[in-house]
This record gives sequence, structure tokens and C-alpha cells, in this order.
Amino acid sequence: MDPLNIGILVSLVTIVVLASGIPVAFGLGLVSVGFLVAFEGMDALGVLAETFFAGIAEFSLVSIPMFIVMGSAVASSPAGKDLYEALDRWLHRLPGGLIISNIGACSVFAALSGSSPATCAAIGKMGIPEMRKRGYPDGLATGAIAAGGTLGILIPPSITMIVYGIATETSIGRLFIAGLLPGVMLTILFMGWSLFAAHRGGYSFRDAAMGFSFAQKMEVLPRVLPFLVIIAGVLFVLYGGVATPSEAAGVGALLCLILVAVIYRVWQPRKIWKIVSDSMKESVMILMIIAASALFAYMMSSLFVTQTVAESIAALEVNRWVLMAIINLFLLVAGFFLPPVAVILMTAPILLPIIQAAGFDPYWFAVVLTINMEIGLITPPVGLNLYVINGIAPEIKLTTILRGALPFMLCMVVGIILLCIFPEIATWLPVALMGIAL
Amino acid sequence: QLKASHQWPGGKGDVRDEMVQIIAREVAAANVDLELKVYPGKSLFKPKEQWSAMVKGQLDISAFPLDYASGRHPQFSATLMPGLVKNHDHALRLNNSPFMQDIKKIINDAGVVVLADAWLAGGFASKKNCILEPESIKGQVTRAAGPAFEQMMAGAGASISSMPSSAIYQAMQTGVLDAANTSSGSFVSYRLYEQVKCLTAPGDHALWFMYEPILMSKRSWEKLNKAQQDALMAAGRKAEDYMTAEAKGLDSKMVDVFRKAGVEVVTMSAEQAQAWKDIAQDTSYKLFSEKVPGGKELIEKALAVD
Amino acid sequence: MRLFIKSVATVSKACGVVAAVLVLLAILVVCQMVVIRYFLNDSTIWQTEFVIFSLVAATFIGSPYVLLIKGHVNVDLLPLYLGERGRRMLALIASTGGLLFCVLLTWNGFELFVEALEGGWTTDTVWALPLWIPYLPMPIGIGLLSLQYAADILALVTGHAMPFAMEAHNPYEGE
Ligand code: NA
Ligand code: NA
Repeated sequence: MDPLNIGILVSLVTIVVLASGIPVAFGLGLVSVGFLVAFEGMDALGVLAETFFAGIAEFSLVSIPMFIVMGSAVASSPAGKDLYEALDRWLHRLPGGLIISNIGACSVFAALSGSSPATCAAIGKMGIPEMRKRGYPDGLATGAIAAGGTLGILIPPSITMIVYGIATETSIGRLFIAGLLPGVMLTILFMGWSLFAAHRGGYSFRDAAMGFSFAQKMEVLPRVLPFLVIIAGVLFVLYGGVATPSEAAGVGALLCLILVAVIYRVWQPRKIWKIVSDSMKESVMILMIIAASALFAYMMSSLFVTQTVAESIAALEVNRWVLMAIINLFLLVAGFFLPPVAVILMTAPILLPIIQAAGFDPYWFAVVLTINMEIGLITPPVGLNLYVINGIAPEIKLTTILRGALPFMLCMVVGIILLCIFPEIATWLPVALMGIAL
Repeated sequence: QLKASHQWPGGKGDVRDEMVQIIAREVAAANVDLELKVYPGKSLFKPKEQWSAMVKGQLDISAFPLDYASGRHPQFSATLMPGLVKNHDHALRLNNSPFMQDIKKIINDAGVVVLADAWLAGGFASKKNCILEPESIKGQVTRAAGPAFEQMMAGAGASISSMPSSAIYQAMQTGVLDAANTSSGSFVSYRLYEQVKCLTAPGDHALWFMYEPILMSKRSWEKLNKAQQDALMAAGRKAEDYMTAEAKGLDSKMVDVFRKAGVEVVTMSAEQAQAWKDIAQDTSYKLFSEKVPGGKELIEKALAVD
Repeated sequence: MRLFIKSVATVSKACGVVAAVLVLLAILVVCQMVVIRYFLNDSTIWQTEFVIFSLVAATFIGSPYVLLIKGHVNVDLLPLYLGERGRRMLALIASTGGLLFCVLLTWNGFELFVEALEGGWTTDTVWALPLWIPYLPMPIGIGLLSLQYAADILALVTGHAMPFAMEAHNPYEGE
């Protein structure tokens, strides 16, 4: 059978198998095993366990559980509330000040956490009820948090960037920096839309009625400061040449655990235990998908599908921007159905050679890919952030959340277009800080 | 149809990729109904997984740094042992020595066949000074290629930091690392000439050589008919000849590139290399002899090759 | 039968505890490594591998627990449109597929473990850790995962459990 036809068959079977509701990790594993046995015989299973094991036995991946612990430690404390409160006391006079504060808090928290659901949960837990209390419509409140939460994988640290770095052998530290300005850009776009939506809807009245004295404004700052110090510390460790991302993540995780214990008095063993076990759940889920994706990638490569698809796309000789548009559309659709790490590990080996042959920068592409994945996080059927919002506010209908999130998704599309017009948004800072890539 | 894999970029002129491509071309030209599909750049297996994939018959051919399998056959560490190979001509003499016969017997018994021999050289470089006698590395944070080199350099007073060769550049840039030891190819491809002050090139008395042969799974080998086996062996010899001609070229290319970048380039004298070997005698050789069955004999046999 | 489902659940919960401890341990060792390397300027020998393998072990051993709490993310578009009966059938098919893969992986992982043990394989670092140690958590963890799957299927067949945990399918439990 021609590898290209095998590729089509693999795609169809994968869609059918995953649609059955089987967990993504085991579904990918099952498809891989099925195709290996069908095309290479039972002997092909000889490397099953080793490939699965090697898929996650990697020092760079160590940072994933660490960054999750960092986020979930802070999320278990009222730090998220302090964060948007601090912003709110300064910004409440703006129309939609609270919503803007929440988005700002999401982006600051994103700098502490590598995952989007964690960011969403940390800010949304207190932010959504507060926004609704002050008269913001359900859709806008939940949509803003769902979208703001996705910044968790764009603003460094980022789990998807780590996985991309491993899959494509690009520098994780550099990927992190590449995501920083685009993260700020999306934050501004989100805030811009909220400002407009709030102004149009006239939701500002109850915010404006509450005044804060200067003393009140200063009073919240000390509670936010320690986290800003940790963020700065981790960044320094990363770029000051002190340690690798994995090591910085480990130290950050311990510091965050200690900090929430000291400042927020979350020191009871039961609470610390909850932080660790919650992080364990999320990282087990992600790492199992990574291991299964390694198996999937092996199957695709062994059957020569990866190589053939890449070659035939490269042979199309379409305009590079048409190519980029097609790739974006493909990623967007893949993101509807699959969690980001699975999409990256399954497609990066195929896409990267094409991208580079077409003259695109791999770090720039990582940012575009990540924004696509962010959109996927707030679209059904698999949208991790939607699950989180559902957990926080179960009484709000999914369609309401989606309607609220849609304009933010459009903001992300605008973001991607801006990145295509001004690639420097992603490429300037890494070059300024680290020199030209190898 | 056979699968050949390796970890280096494909079609970009890497010598090991070229060796595999030569075999693929020659076998195709021999008209023995055999086709090689090449998977470069770890697109099939991770570098170290290739060994067991060959043993199990899931991978047919690989350009494989033998030391990667030293966790399974500790004797293989001798193929990345400081000072056993002095220069490229010495490496050729070593290939047919009792030392390499022992190594190849272990390879064979494990279920793998050698199609072509290849040795690659490497050197040292530092941001501070030229690495010549052992004293010159004292106190420098160093990345060494391979545990045996780590032991020797620690014995010379260096402080060891383990990392993949791809991380050396950034580690030097940020000041985590002062000095590094890696292959000539890596020195060039990772642009380390932008970071270092002095390079110690292999020359006539090099310390760092690594055995990176083209290997084939015995299971796959035995499935072939005589004509196919002969064609593969002939292709292997072609690849080996190519490698012999290219290996020195790699070193001189590195020297050129570093000189052009304004880096001082030196080589070790026989006495300086001997001083390192004296340290290795008490560190890496000693540990290897103690821990590895037959290790002492292997070292002796290798050192006996003139 | 109830007893079987219950005891498997207990074992899976215990696995969750072990996995969480392994994660915590990994964090502490990373920090110890950073202190040794960057503050005391000493070489580190075992830490890197220890951290990698304890997190790999945490992943395998934690997976039965994560299955128990329905934390392995899935695509539940089709189940949403099906009726109670269809949903149950689909869940049965999906779980059987998952079980099949896990049993294969357990068996394969066990073979790998035996090979490493009998061959005396070690990692190729200065530490030279015997490879059977990091390989062992795979057959154990995925084996228990298979057991949890079997219990889930049993619960489905006997009607003790709702397919796909439709009511509480949020893996983060609102955290
Ligand atoms: Na982040
Ligand atoms: Na989605």
C-alpha cells in the first residue's frame, strides 16, 4: 500500500477510534499498535514498551510536572484573587475594569504556570463569581476567563513549548522568550475587546460606584509582590545561565509551595497533599498522551507516512502564505479534537521540515502553533478550559460560554494575522536576548 | 526492503549520513532486489534505542556510536576511551587488531553485524586557555563526551557538567561552562568557534576518538540470500573507504573554520598526551578494568597496537 | 463482584498516593541538584536519572488512579448525542479497546523488564543504574491500569457505573 494512502487510512481510523470516547492516550496507542501489526507483523510489537518508555524518559519533560506544581500551588491559595483585586483597585474606573483586571491577572498568572487549565482555574475560581456579582453577563465573564486562561501556554513557562522544543530539537529557553511578546499582544487584544464589549453593554456602572482610596491601592501590593519575585527569579535562573528549564521549574515549584505555605498559611499537610496530588493527576494525563504520541509518531515514521506526506506537501509548490493558511486551518481543526501536546507531537515531525523549507522561522512557527492550540482549548469537544469553567460555574450553559468566548477566539486569529505581518513580534526578543539561533 | 536509521541530519553532507546513503546507492545499483529506506535525524528511533531495535530485528541498519550500547555491553566503553586511538592512521591499524576482534565478537554475539568501520576524532576547547597538559584544565567547568572522559578530566581537576553537545553553545554563552570536549563535527555544526578562545585539534596525538560503525541486525542479515549479503558487504567497504578519506578532512575543516574565526588552534605533543594517559591509567582505565569483565585485557590489547 | 470493583479502586487510590510521593520526591531532588551544582560547584552523578525515572514511574503508577477518577482526557462528542443504551455500548467498546492496549503494553513491558534484569543492563552513565529498576514501574503501573479497566468494564456490564462519567467529567475538579 502506498504510504500516502496508509496516511489517509491512519487519519480516518484515528478519528473513528478517538470518537468512541476512549481516552486520547490509549486511543493513540491502540491505533499505533493496530497499524504496526497490520503492516509489519506481530514482531513489530517488540519495540512497543521501549518506545513508550523512551517517549517520556527525557530530562526536558521533567519540567512539565514541576511547572504544573508551581501553578497549582499558587492556584490553591487566594493569590489569584489578590492578583486581580490589586489590578482592579487601580483599574476599576475603566468601563469593564474588573474584566480587564481578570484578564491581566490571567496573563500574570500565566507567567507562573505552564498550563492553561491551571491558569483558568486559578483566576476564574474567584474571578467569575465576582464578575457576575457585579453585573457582568455570564457569557462575557466566562468567555474572558476561558480565553485569558489559554495565555498559560503562550506566556512562558509553557508545557506545549517544552513539548515542541523536544519534538523539533529547538531550544526551550528560546521558545519561552519567543512567546513573551505575543502573549502580551494577545493580552492587549483581549483587554481591547473587553473594553469595547463592556462599553457597548454599559456594564461599568457598578464598578465605578466603588471607589478605592490610595491607601487601599497600596495595601494589596505586598501580597502580590512575592509572586512577581518568583516570576522574576525563575526568569533569571533561566536566562542568567544558572540552570536548565527543568531545574528552574523544580526550584520554582518548591519556592511556590513554600510561599503559599508562609504567606497564605496553606501549610496543613492535607492542603499541601492536595496540591501535589492534583498536579500529579494533570501531569500523568499529559505524560501518558506524550508517551502514546511517541508510539504514534514511530508508527507513522516506520510506515513512511510522515516522510511521504511532508514530501508531497513540499512538492505542491504553493505560495508560502497559502501553505501557512492551510497549515493553520489544519492545526485549528486538529485542536478542536485533541489536546495540544498530542497535536504537537503528532504533527511537528511532518510540519517542521515543510515550514523550514518554506523559509519560516521555527520559533515564530512555535508561537503561531501555540495560538492555534489556545483556540483549541476553548472549543468543544475537547477543550480543557471549558471543563474547568464548567467545574467553577456548572449552572452556566456551554453555549453561553462559547458565545462569550467566540470574540476572544477571533482576537487570537487577529493575533496570528498580526504575527504573519509582523513576525518580529515573536522573533525580535529572542535575538535581542540570546543572539541569532543556531 | 531494509530500514536504515541514524541520528544525524539527512542530505546535509554529514559523513555518517553519507556512509548510509552510499550503501543505499550501491545496494540499489547491485541489482540484487534489495532496497534501503533511510530514516535520518532520529526520525524512526531515538539514538540509543537503535541498538535493541537491531537486536530484535525491528531495525535493519544503523550508523551507531557503539558506546551508546555500553549499558548492555560494558566492554563497548573501550571504543570511547581516552588515548586508545592516537590518530586516523592508528585507527585503521586498530580495526584489524585483536582488540577490535574482541569487540566485534561481542557485537556479533549480541546479534549485530558490522558492515563498515568508522572512527571519528574530536578535541577540546576552552574559553580561558589552551587545553594541552592536564594542569591546563584545572578548575574549569567542563563538558566531556562520554563517562570515561568525565572520569579522566575530573581526575585532572576539572569540574564536570553533563549535557548534550547541543547545549554547549548556550552553556558557554551564559557562563555555565568554561571548556568542552566533543567531536570535530559538533565543534563546527554548533558554532563553538564563536565562544571559545583556544581549540585543541586532534593532530597526531589525539585523546578523543569514537567508534561509529555501520551496523546491521543479524536477524535481517540471515534473511538475505548470498548475493544480497555480498552486495551489502561490498557496499559497506565502499562506505568505509569513503569514511577513511573523509575523516581527516573533517578535522582540517574544523581547524580552518576556527582559525578563520580568530580562535587559536593547537595540538598535543606526545608527552602531553602521555600525561593525560597517566591520569586515565588511575581513573578511567582503572575503573574500566575493575568493573568490566575482560576490561583489563581489552585496554592492554588496544594499547599494544602501535 | 462488588468486592472486586471496590478492592481494585482501593489499589488504584494507593497508586495515586505512590505517584504523588514520587512527584514530590522529584521536586526535592531537582532542588538538591541545583544546590550542589550551582552553589557548591560540585558534580552531580545520580540526580538527573533519578528525577527522570521517578517521574516516569509516577506516570505509570499514577495512571490507574487517574483512570479511576476519569482524568484521562477523551473526546466525548459522540457519547453526548447517544441515548443511554448506545452510550453504554460505546463505553463498553471504548473500554475494551483501552484494555486491549494496556494488556499488550503490560506484557511487553514485563518482557523488557525481564530482559534488562537477566541481561544485567545498566544506564550508560557514571551512575550505571540497573535498567530493570526504571523498567519495573511500567508492567506494574500499566498492569494495575488494566485491572482498573477490567473493573470499569465489569461495573458497566453490571450497571454499577455511568458510562463516560457524564456528570463529573472535569479532570480538575474545579481546582
Ligand atoms: Na505559562
Ligand atoms: Na478543542
